[in-house]
Amino acid sequence: MPGRCPECGSSEVVEDSHYSQDHLVCTECGFLLTEGLLTTTRSEETFSQGTPAPFFIRVPAVRKAVRYSESTAEVKKPCRNQIQGQKRVHDLCRILRVRPVVEDTASELYLKAYEHQSFLHVTLEKKEALVGCCVHISCRQHNWPLTLSTICSLLHVEPTLFSTVYQHLLKELRLDIPTLSLLDLVKTHCDGFNLFQNSASIPSQFLENKDKVVERAMQLVELASETWLVTGRHPVPIITAAAYLAWQSLFPGHRLKCSLGKFCKLAGVRQPPPASQRVKEMLDILVTLASQLAWLVPQQLDAKTVVKYTDDILRHRTLLLRQTLSFASTENTNGHIDPSEGTETSGEAEAGNSSGEMVPSVVEHLGDVSRRKRTMPIFLPPCLKQRKWKKACPEAETTLHTEPTTGEEEISDSEIEQYLRTPEEVAAFKSARAIL
Amino acid sequence: MKSFTGRKHKLTAALPAFRASGTGSPEVSLELNRAFEVTKDTNYLLLRSYQLRTLAMDQSNNGLPPYAQGLSSPPGAMTPGLPMFSPMMPYGTGLTPQPIQSSNSISLLEEQQRQQQQAAQQSTTTQLSTQVTSSQPPQLFHSQTMTTTTLPGITSHYPSPMTPMTPITPATPASESSGIVPQLQNIVSTVNLGCKLDLKTIALRARNAEYNPKRFAAVIMRIREPRTTALIFSSGKMVCTGAKSEEQSRLAARKYARVVQKLGFPAKFLDFKIQNMVGSCDVKFPIRLEGLVLTHQQFSSYEPELFPGLIYRMIKPRIVLLIFVSGKVVLTGAKVRAEIYEAFENIYPILKGFRKTT
Repeated sequence: MPGRCPECGSSEVVEDSHYSQDHLVCTECGFLLTEGLLTTTRSEETFSQGTPAPFFIRVPAVRKAVRYSESTAEVKKPCRNQIQGQKRVHDLCRILRVRPVVEDTASELYLKAYEHQSFLHVTLEKKEALVGCCVHISCRQHNWPLTLSTICSLLHVEPTLFSTVYQHLLKELRLDIPTLSLLDLVKTHCDGFNLFQNSASIPSQFLENKDKVVERAMQLVELASETWLVTGRHPVPIITAAAYLAWQSLFPGHRLKCSLGKFCKLAGVRQPPPASQRVKEMLDILVTLASQLAWLVPQQLDAKTVVKYTDDILRHRTLLLRQTLSFASTENTNGHIDPSEGTETSGEAEAGNSSGEMVPSVVEHLGDVSRRKRTMPIFLPPCLKQRKWKKACPEAETTLHTEPTTGEEEISDSEIEQYLRTPEEVAAFKSARAIL
Repeated sequence: MKSFTGRKHKLTAALPAFRASGTGSPEVSLELNRAFEVTKDTNYLLLRSYQLRTLAMDQSNNGLPPYAQGLSSPPGAMTPGLPMFSPMMPYGTGLTPQPIQSSNSISLLEEQQRQQQQAAQQSTTTQLSTQVTSSQPPQLFHSQTMTTTTLPGITSHYPSPMTPMTPITPATPASESSGIVPQLQNIVSTVNLGCKLDLKTIALRARNAEYNPKRFAAVIMRIREPRTTALIFSSGKMVCTGAKSEEQSRLAARKYARVVQKLGFPAKFLDFKIQNMVGSCDVKFPIRLEGLVLTHQQFSSYEPELFPGLIYRMIKPRIVLLIFVSGKVVLTGAKVRAEIYEAFENIYPILKGFRKTT
């Protein structure tokens, strides 16, 4: 019999229902211990699973949900969190305006992931991140361009937490997903810029046709990926930089004065910190290529003025790339054959060539160092370019200069003594700690 | 399958003669030297030596035995019970001559790739009397779509690679080694001191120890030579990190044990084991990571938004490689030094394929 009556102390408490309302009544004195609810809210009815045993009822008597593991139900109904998670997935897909098939994939994936052992008992925060991960994976599988940072910002999830959940999910479910296509991302990212429609805050000379900007930005991104600016780096700063340069080059007269920060503010997007460096790198590449165009050589282009000629450079970019590379290789062979003449040719090239690989120092050292420098390519990932002038650290390290250890050497007592405190030190330390 | 590791095959005995006879280039002897460092698996030794010098074997072994079939891969070494090395085991016993994987971790794709590789090698070698494994068509494309996604109703959305590249059996012969040796950067080892320890006493009486029980339940002790750090737990177990070689790690662990001994505990040195080894090297040319992830989808993970390098999980040996655009490669997850060398020798031809001259 459940409980004792608090008034008279008898244990004759029975469960009785009065007009479909459950009561726990003491038969001795008529004291009403608990009573059921007359009405329940819809969510409570939906989420309560079966009638709980009377022992668990305490005032107020709400029907508590019984866990599936404690009930005798055969089919597990989805719990509240899971249903909410599914709703989040749907909402997110609708916000991002993805195709229906993407939404379906995402919700299937979420269902599968949720039931998986490693995700069933994680914190709610991680489950929120799981929603984002499923949507992201589904988008990637259908080649819908979407970045992780977008999803993180939409869901207000920590990026570190998101990345751990993402990696974990990929490993657990053994999913292979294709890499993000940068060119597709350009289009969707530029959609977020506000410079393409009439607005009060934007002066007329800054307005631009979106398609033109997108097309030119795509060409710039393609050029960047050819010249090692994209591998291993965040995609969004590159796209922002490309969009900025493309926008500038379409009307350089007025827009050259506009800095990257101002551009981002006008466009209504946050300026990613690496974007300014990407702009510089891209301009360097453009200057390098511009040196190949005959009508631009006398102009002595530098990073500030080359934007005006971006159109020409991009139109002929494949040819220019090929020419620059073949020019570089002939430079190499010339330098090898005739060192004295090599100085002149490399000096000429320096005027137009801003990267300056073919520095006369090549012909100065005729040892292995120069041979190595001669065969160095003209386009390198920036991380290698910065280190170019440093001495290459010796690969075969000086680990063998001492006798190799055997692991079984004698350990002298004095060596060990140096690691032990003297009794005075111990006493001093103790007293110091006692003071603190 | 019977294990042959215990028995001394006549070839093993003959190996020192190969070495002494000065077979070929320094690369060869480097290979052999390196191979001899791996003392555990004699079959692996034999495989390497026979690749470097295609010797005419005992005719009783049916001409060119199948050991020369593209077994530059250590998969052969992993199954010591290979029947091919024994003169007693004739051909056509019904057992296929290729090494049969005993581990379960090989995926279907790997199996097919390896078989295809061996079939290719078989066709190039002269004498061939064995039964070739039947289904040798490049089923790679099929199997790739199988392994790519687990969701129903999703077909492969990305193009199949042009040239199926395999990470475990490079087509180049072993003598064309890269010439680059990965350097070990870190060794993690554990040892059991065999007695319960009082961490407060250790922290009080040792100069090089720090102990903050609220942050972490172990004493952090450091010694200068070899430059290492140890985590000493109250159960008596210890983790030693930071050494640059296996011997140094052992020496360092012994020094820590000696320190604990001098502090008055009856410390022993039980079950010393190397748990992890990390190595790194530089291939000296930039690598197109986007291309690599396309062709080696099933092993690579490249998310530039999360990490600038490509994470390559090699299956045999079980090593994780971090490959960066600058050409630097970090190898980790090895229990023995040979695994790191092997993994690098496997990945180098693949990376060379993505070397671009721009």
